[in-house]
Amino acid sequence: MLILLAAIFAVHIIGIILLLVATIDNAWWASDTYSTDLWGRWVLTNGVWNLTDIPSGSHYPQDYLQAVQASSILACIFSILGIFVFVAQLFTLEKGKRFTISGVFQFLACLCIMIAAAIYTDRFHIDEQFGWYGHCFILAWIAFALTLISSITYFVLRKKTAGAGH
Amino acid sequence: MLTVLALASVVLLGIVPDPSQAIVIYTGWERHALLGSDVRLSCSFFSWRWTSDDVTFSWTYRPDGSKDSISIFHYTGGMAYVDNKGPFRDRLEFVGNPGRRDGSILLKNLDFSDNGTFTCDAKNPPDIVGRPQSSPLRRVPIQAGVITGAIIGVVLGLLVLIVVIYYLMRFLVARRVFSLSVSKHGKKKKEGSQQRQGPAPPADPSKVKAAASEKKKQESRKDKK
Repeated sequence: MLILLAAIFAVHIIGIILLLVATIDNAWWASDTYSTDLWGRWVLTNGVWNLTDIPSGSHYPQDYLQAVQASSILACIFSILGIFVFVAQLFTLEKGKRFTISGVFQFLACLCIMIAAAIYTDRFHIDEQFGWYGHCFILAWIAFALTLISSITYFVLRKKTAGAGH
Repeated sequence: MLTVLALASVVLLGIVPDPSQAIVIYTGWERHALLGSDVRLSCSFFSWRWTSDDVTFSWTYRPDGSKDSISIFHYTGGMAYVDNKGPFRDRLEFVGNPGRRDGSILLKNLDFSDNGTFTCDAKNPPDIVGRPQSSPLRRVPIQAGVITGAIIGVVLGLLVLIVVIYYLMRFLVARRVFSLSVSKHGKKKKEGSQQRQGPAPPADPSKVKAAASEKKKQESRKDKK
């Protein structure tokens, strides 16, 4: 059972790491000469990468971008709170009860990153042919799947009663 | 009396400012602007003379880390001449009002390399002695989001509110449970006192029967528990 506990913990931690990388790194959309979102745009000029502002305009809605930023930050916050709540519940939960609160936090994180990735997919780079989705975008969707699995595990898992081996 | 008057007039004449004093130029403070945005560089002056028709405004730019400055704007003889060869070509626009001593220019579409100091020099002939004023400009690379902060704040605030309300409800329900158990204790005490009084007074058959049935009831309750 220690292995199961370690596996659940590892899945949660990997989820947190993926969420952090997806939020902090500026690579939701990339091409040969630039790598962009959510916070800035890396532009390759004369062999040097420069961090610049994201252009503002009708083809790049600022309010949706800020919604994506807020959602992905909230996903990180909920996931990190969830790991602390899980560790606390490991020690304080009564035998035979489920880890509902940790599950709720992970589910909220899953919901938030899904909102972020969905808004980004729908509203940005709709007609753009030059470029492809960067690694942060892919990590965001993988983090969505991981947090979903993690939250379901917490909703289903019961704390082992004494004598059944921990 | 006469000497006092003479002294007073000399003093007053001394206080009255000399019309040939220097011109004082005012520009904006240090500016931070976003890439791609429009920046208004303001410049106005104070002079004791009336605003002449030959008033001139002149803006120069010195890039950060460089000692050379180039001239980018000049207003003279009622005509504004903007930069058409240098780094600001097609990006400058005169938005001032020389009649109201305002020589402000608008710098459009801020670029990478626009970090530097802009200096305004105004001349109001014959009042030409003055010191040009500088207004540094800094480019801010990343923009802070208001909507982002608002969404995060609202969601976290709601979360904290829900947690607080949950614990408050639990606390209130616990208090209600506590008050119920207090009243139960009171009832039990009354029953106990009736039992004690039962056998002592002369036996009233109904009362003795009632006491016996109550005893049985209590015993059955204890058995159930």
